[in-house]
Amino acid sequence: MRTYAPADPSTVLERLLEEPSLARGVVHHEIIPAREALHADMPAWLDPRIVKGLESRGIERLYTHQLEAIEAVHAGDDVVVVTPTASGKTLCYALPTLQAIAEDASARALFLFPTKALGQDQVTEFGELAASADLSIITSTYDGDTPAPIRSTVRAAGQVVVTNPDMLHSAILPHHTKWFQLFEQLKLIVVDELHTYRGVFGSHVANVLRRLLRICAHYGSRPVIVCCSATIGNPSELAAMLTGRPARLVDRNGAPAGERHVLLVDPPIMEPASGARASAATLAQRWALPFLRAGRQTIVFGRSRVAVEILLTGLREALRESYGPRSRVRGYRGGYLPTERRSIERGLRDGEILGVVSTNALELGVDIGRLDVSVLAGYPGSVAATWQQFGRAGRRQGTSVAILVASGAPVDQYVIHHPEFLLDNTPEEARLDPDNLHVQLAHLRAATFELPFEPGEVFGPAPADELLAFLAEEGHVRQAGDGRWYWSSENFPASEISLRAAAPENVVIIDTTPDRPRVLGEVDLFSAQVLVHERAIYIHESIQYYVDRLEWHERKAYVHKIDVDHYTYANRAVTLKPLEVFAEAPATGGHRKHGEVMVASLVTLFKKLKFVTDENVGWGPIDLPELELQTTAYWLTADSARQHWRRDELDVALLGAGRAIQTIAAVLLMVDPRDLGLVTQVRSPHAEEPTIYLYEAVPGGIGLSERLWQRHEELLSGAADLIAACGCEGGCPACTGPRLEPNVDARRLALRLLAELGAGTRLAAAG
Amino acid sequence: MIDTLAEPGDRLARRLARFRAANPGPGALDDPLPYRRSPSRDLARRLAEAVAGEVVDTGGGVFVRVEAAGSDLPLDRDRLATLPGQPPADRPLVCLDTETTGLATAAGTVAFLIGLGWWAGATYRQIQLLLPDHAEEGVLLDQVARHIPRDAWLVTYNGRGFDWPLLVTRFRLARRAAPDHAGHLDLLPIVRRLFRHRMDDARLGTVERALLGVVRHDDVDGWEIPGRYLGFLRGGPAQPLAAVVRHNDTDVRSLARLLAHLERALGDPVARSSAPRGDLAGLARAFRRERRLDEAVDCLDAALAADASPPASTAVAPARPSVDEPWWSPRRHPDFGGRPDRRLTSSGWDRRQAFARPWDEERIAADRAHLLRRLGRIDEALTAWDALACGPGRTAVLAAIEAAKLREHRIGDAAAALATVERGLTLADRRRARGLPEPALEADLRHRWRRLHSRLVARRADTAIAV
Repeated sequence: MRTYAPADPSTVLERLLEEPSLARGVVHHEIIPAREALHADMPAWLDPRIVKGLESRGIERLYTHQLEAIEAVHAGDDVVVVTPTASGKTLCYALPTLQAIAEDASARALFLFPTKALGQDQVTEFGELAASADLSIITSTYDGDTPAPIRSTVRAAGQVVVTNPDMLHSAILPHHTKWFQLFEQLKLIVVDELHTYRGVFGSHVANVLRRLLRICAHYGSRPVIVCCSATIGNPSELAAMLTGRPARLVDRNGAPAGERHVLLVDPPIMEPASGARASAATLAQRWALPFLRAGRQTIVFGRSRVAVEILLTGLREALRESYGPRSRVRGYRGGYLPTERRSIERGLRDGEILGVVSTNALELGVDIGRLDVSVLAGYPGSVAATWQQFGRAGRRQGTSVAILVASGAPVDQYVIHHPEFLLDNTPEEARLDPDNLHVQLAHLRAATFELPFEPGEVFGPAPADELLAFLAEEGHVRQAGDGRWYWSSENFPASEISLRAAAPENVVIIDTTPDRPRVLGEVDLFSAQVLVHERAIYIHESIQYYVDRLEWHERKAYVHKIDVDHYTYANRAVTLKPLEVFAEAPATGGHRKHGEVMVASLVTLFKKLKFVTDENVGWGPIDLPELELQTTAYWLTADSARQHWRRDELDVALLGAGRAIQTIAAVLLMVDPRDLGLVTQVRSPHAEEPTIYLYEAVPGGIGLSERLWQRHEELLSGAADLIAACGCEGGCPACTGPRLEPNVDARRLALRLLAELGAGTRLAAAG
Repeated sequence: MIDTLAEPGDRLARRLARFRAANPGPGALDDPLPYRRSPSRDLARRLAEAVAGEVVDTGGGVFVRVEAAGSDLPLDRDRLATLPGQPPADRPLVCLDTETTGLATAAGTVAFLIGLGWWAGATYRQIQLLLPDHAEEGVLLDQVARHIPRDAWLVTYNGRGFDWPLLVTRFRLARRAAPDHAGHLDLLPIVRRLFRHRMDDARLGTVERALLGVVRHDDVDGWEIPGRYLGFLRGGPAQPLAAVVRHNDTDVRSLARLLAHLERALGDPVARSSAPRGDLAGLARAFRRERRLDEAVDCLDAALAADASPPASTAVAPARPSVDEPWWSPRRHPDFGGRPDRRLTSSGWDRRQAFARPWDEERIAADRAHLLRRLGRIDEALTAWDALACGPGRTAVLAAIEAAKLREHRIGDAAAALATVERGLTLADRRRARGLPEPALEADLRHRWRRLHSRLVARRADTAIAV
């Protein structure tokens, strides 16, 4: 089929679905009907200059969610706005900011964005809005690139300060006395891309915000917080965990949308025995090409930098052969120059660029206008990210098409075969734990440095005195004659904290590719064992690095850039010992618990696995000392299974069920499967019962295990579903993990165990 | 054994205990003293005893005061005021130096010792205010404010970047306004401009040795100071702080002596002609910054007339050991000496090199030629550049370019300019032959040559046609 003439997306899609080789792979086809705009009038209190400015930009009325949000801020309430991409979220915080400054020119606002690039985009947009309203507002970006002479101007005069959590943490808060004009008059804090603040990073940012609000209180201000988030399962809860304050949820989207087709596509199985599937990239290209030839603006998402280049080359090659619009298809990813990126964004907005192949760099709020078609080569790892990427296609009128092409990975397979998971609007939750001891103590140090603590003053949920007394024993903090706690060390505590890692003792990753080696990042020791051992491929911002040398005692890893088609996976041999049970409850066939555990981990060898196919292409030894990790875990015991199971079968069943539970847990809680470790014990030396442990790979944990404990039943039935729906014979990497013994049916054994533990599967019920 | 039902409070205590067991080392100090909390007054009493000071109880709080005997240190303010950057003669001066718990001017660094000095007639008086406990900071700061009159000029060493911003931070944290003052004379940039050429670094101790003939004995190293004070606060001995007080006393005294030295050595235009030529060249630059160009030229003339032999105090040993360890190494000792100079430490070696460059005759003459041109004394400037263009070095090439510029643009003699450019090219070629190419200068010269040449050719052609 060749479609050269321009055609609208639905026509192209119709023709594609008539093509049997493509249609066969479509697992699910959902048509989301068009939605009318829900408008609301401008509120009467809005400054007439702002109203006029909006009118000059063609905005006569607001969408309902925008009104709801700004009314809440006007009433002094915190808000969390959750609406899809390009639904006019910016106005939800821009209008209250403009209003506050229109009322009082000394008012200040602080905008937090997770990355620099996003911040710069917003500065431009906000500046245009302010200009159209005829308000002269000094909007300044304060980040690592801000030149020193300008910094003092920003401090003294910036009415809207745009920055990121790292700068707030290390440059603004410890120097708050130089920012007193900002903190005294701070009316509004905007936290955009809320959903990115999860896990360790989120736990740190929550503590940075605790510090921020504490400083504001010192200067007598009480700013309203506006959070904006992509669609996630628990926005209110996440906002509350992050800011420590309840927020009003605004999630009824009033923006119009055209009809949208969502297709879930599974590549065909190439080798029935191993369950290996065709490549998602190839199939994604086949789906994208006809739309490009028909002149429809299309975005293709790849999961890594390499994948993007492969997809881009493939698409251009195919278009060249068929004399298609080859030069109008571009790549976009981290590593491109900022000017190049800007020109691509502009090209997409004005339609000059027809197609773009991108990593998740284009998933966040970068403004590229609205496109017709979005093709995802592989599940991006979370429902939220999937909808962000789907959301890139979708005009206010007319049909758009979103296609998810799964890979052979277990999570992809689970998602693609459970369309309701993606489509029934129950995306996963974002978790964080601001009270992780490592994280909290680190920020408590920084907070004491910034301002002494009153006796009984709270930091987070409870008075900080016991923790401060703990720090006092270390010598960094002291209680003075007036009973207050003061910083009493010559260290600069903020510089000892990396917002991306949990424990203070980290391995620094040094990139030796440029002439002047630079620090790429840090990883905690536990992760370092598996991520930056010698000869590992370390991936940072979707760029691959080869680890030349790991100096364990110096805590330094030296890497250089490399471009290869495989990644490395290190095997961790783990023993686990429970330290304290925080909660426990009986469950069918046993018990479920969560608590603190000690994990001893030894890493001895790594495998090289090909991208996409996960084919094993080599291995190597690793020589590193054993590490102990204190963390939290969720575990379940199969008390009844001890009596009537054969020990060897139980072993296989526990591992198989554990793998499936691990996969489901990663899906439900929006984390990388590597963030959750799995240990199974046929006869646990501690519990005496057959046990499956899922422990958090982060020191101290980030609250995942408590949530897993609560969602025990969903985990079990999800795991049973995953295994039951798998098309393999006797277990495969997509369900129960790689087969260890060819003659044992891991699939059957795991399902039997899960049934005994009370997993009610829909498939089992149906059969 | 695992216990399952515990009070959350106990649980935190147990978690902290396990946390400590699992994380020995990284958080804790090397040798934390057993933690002891004592009332401010006890601390103040112990501190006062150790440093031979008195406890002052204001009713609102306590602090410790150390007053030194006044010393005779006459200073001719009128003569001082003639030097660039100096305060007007009628303003009171307050010399100020602080000792702190760290190097960052951020919120958690405390100035625990503030040394102040001022003149009462020809007598230099000094007072030191010490913080006995964090809780007493407000009282201490009130006392500091009382010693700074509104019309006073502060005199510090790197105080613009460090001591003063730090004190402002402390005042703000204590919810007080930082005291107003009329001006701030930071001696560090002045010392660097005038004397850096004959010192290995700009620490105050080095300056004392090189300029004032003072050598400190048993002085405490800067990096030790925070630890001594924090140790005392945690219940350790106060005795080690006696040396810190002595150190600060010397610092504040040196500020005054340094001012007096400036006034005596350089304040009088006639007397200064016997100063080392590098000092004079530096002074010329200081004058130039204030656009006092005539005085700058006079200084350079004096410098060129001065004895070329290096000053006796050149051989000042480096005060800080060379830094072999990279900046991120844990073995690298934090350098608390002489107050951190941001520009020197952060922006690389080139500035350091520029400062260390010796003031030889050629460099002074080049500075002088630049000045003459700015003053409009074109003929003299041209003579100076021409003289320099006879030399063998890189300066000669530069001088040829400058002379060509003057001939072309100020005098309007394109032919002579071309000849000068050609001489410059010859010089550059000679340097290239010696393996010292100057690509940027050569490019400049070639560009100039082409332009001048084509203009002359065109003019000749015009003339020919006219004929």
